[in-house]
Amino acid sequence: MGSHAKAWLVEDESAREMLDRVLTERPFLLLPPLHRVPLRVGNVVELVGPSSSSKTHILIQAAITCILPKLWKGVSYGGLGHSAMFIDLDCRFDVLRFSELLNHRIMEAANGSSSKVGCHQKDSEAQFERMKPYNEELFALCMKRFLYIRCYDSSEFLATLKTLHYRLQKEREVHGVNVHLLLIDSIGAFHWVDRGSSSFPLECDNRKSWHLQNVSEAVVQEIRRLLLVHPMLVMATKAVVLGNKYSTNELTWNYRKWSAVDNPYSRNITSSDQQLPYREYMPAAWQSFVTHRILVRATDDDLVNGEHQNNSIYLLKWLLPPLNSLDKFTVRDTGVFILS
Amino acid sequence: MARLANLETEYPVLDSTVRNFCASHGIFSAAFAEQNDSSERLKEGIAQVLSIIDDMHQPWLNGMELLEDAKRNKHVFPTGIQGIDLLLGDGIRVGQLTELVGPSSSGKTQVCLRTASNVARNHMVLYLDTGNSFSPQCIAYFLGKTISPSSAQAKNQFLQKVMSNISCHSVFDIFAMFDVLHQLESYLRCQDGRGCCQMRLLIVDSISSLISPVLGSSSTLGRALMTSAGYLLKKLAHQHNLAVLIINHTVGGEGGSSKPALGDSWKCIPHSRLFLSCDRGSNTYNVSILRHPSMASVKAARFVI
Repeated sequence: MGSHAKAWLVEDESAREMLDRVLTERPFLLLPPLHRVPLRVGNVVELVGPSSSSKTHILIQAAITCILPKLWKGVSYGGLGHSAMFIDLDCRFDVLRFSELLNHRIMEAANGSSSKVGCHQKDSEAQFERMKPYNEELFALCMKRFLYIRCYDSSEFLATLKTLHYRLQKEREVHGVNVHLLLIDSIGAFHWVDRGSSSFPLECDNRKSWHLQNVSEAVVQEIRRLLLVHPMLVMATKAVVLGNKYSTNELTWNYRKWSAVDNPYSRNITSSDQQLPYREYMPAAWQSFVTHRILVRATDDDLVNGEHQNNSIYLLKWLLPPLNSLDKFTVRDTGVFILS
Repeated sequence: MARLANLETEYPVLDSTVRNFCASHGIFSAAFAEQNDSSERLKEGIAQVLSIIDDMHQPWLNGMELLEDAKRNKHVFPTGIQGIDLLLGDGIRVGQLTELVGPSSSGKTQVCLRTASNVARNHMVLYLDTGNSFSPQCIAYFLGKTISPSSAQAKNQFLQKVMSNISCHSVFDIFAMFDVLHQLESYLRCQDGRGCCQMRLLIVDSISSLISPVLGSSSTLGRALMTSAGYLLKKLAHQHNLAVLIINHTVGGEGGSSKPALGDSWKCIPHSRLFLSCDRGSNTYNVSILRHPSMASVKAARFVI
């Protein structure tokens, strides 16, 4: 027993070694446009915004950054090389658009490296043709790392979460890749259906009734359990309705007005009574689970980009942790482009 | 989720030992169980329970499989109207919900009939009519415009064949629509893969007249019904490869402008939304995009039916 006790006291590694190891295995993620706050595994990020405010696009950006490798056949892609899981509760995911964006990122990275060498126009075209089979191979490799599922109601969602642990174990054994990102599109998708079904009680007494709170608690519990065994970054979108002050009507909205109105809020910010510009409808179980919260919305301005391209400009604001800055960004084929 | 006791008849491995083990962990229904015990029987039982739960959700797909399914099954059907096809990028897409919004007599039903006549040449079409707006004469007229001149008998035969591909059902409330859609689901489940002429288009004209009566301002059941209807349509569209076209009305918005009916909770349901309006006194219609899955470069167009 004495030798066992001594074995407990021998150190495994110094603090510096541990920091080195943790930083390489679990790196900080700086995903544009969420680049102001570094994100790590174990964080639960909530993207809040009205309909059509590029929330799903930000998720897809994150997924593409995750599935691209860091370095492949001499070209640096700047990705993480891990798998990403996408749970589609909104059922509006467009895989053709996703593959377009992935292809654009691959070609941009490939062109970026070739332009560094300083080729002429003809050379770069020939190089593009030469790179084509490599690009297709990389494309197939990345697409296989993207895992997707659709859920048409809350019971399917819960069943997915409950069997996710075994699915992830199998993925690890078969493909040897870890899942780094869990994306949930529209966590509030079944809000009304669950609220409506709470008026239908089940027969048995010892089973929990299908309440909105119970479903939400079960979801949070399952994701928590999952994060213990498979550390991942969780990103979820949530569709909300912004209050009247923030309507997108040109007459009432004014960029400067928002920041002027914002200042009284920022002065009175305490953790308990922060006035939110939208009505929160998710139950408290989910609200307390979220560690980071971002508000995105579309503006009426357009960025004229060539004769045919008119890209809308979006505004982004960090609610948790509360930052005073407002980011402007626009969405292009190659990804998100920060404007200011 | 079923009780474990009830599942024993189907899956005999879930006998009383497994149930006692699960009961000791507070599990009375088919829920997730931690594998602590090394007993083979228990392992089998738990594996069985897990596979039951696995059946309760859709299968996981990876990106390549999704892409293959999209390329093979999710085609695009042109509506036959140039302006709209230009806006939507070649037409309405299978597996997606396309919504046409507009005030009354802005050409929404005409667009639906035109699309139906186009798709019905090779596939079956289901038209759910809530306001008796389906007009076989219009369809015959649209077909007559595009058919090449030939003998009257050949024309007649062609017309018969196309018309028999369109089935029209009248529904006057949301529960009747749920009925028809559930019947359609079971029909399509038997039909999938068999036969050359498959159903590819579902038109609901108009969904707002079905949902608005149940949608009070603070009613949760109304919104729950609306969301379930939306998800049922999405499920049919994706699993059975249908293109769904739905018609919505407009209500007054702020500042006198009109906005689509059914409120903000409905905004998350359709994939694409088009706003139609009609120029007074002329035959031309305007259409603009409210929402599109990819950032559309063209935002508005005009067309003549």
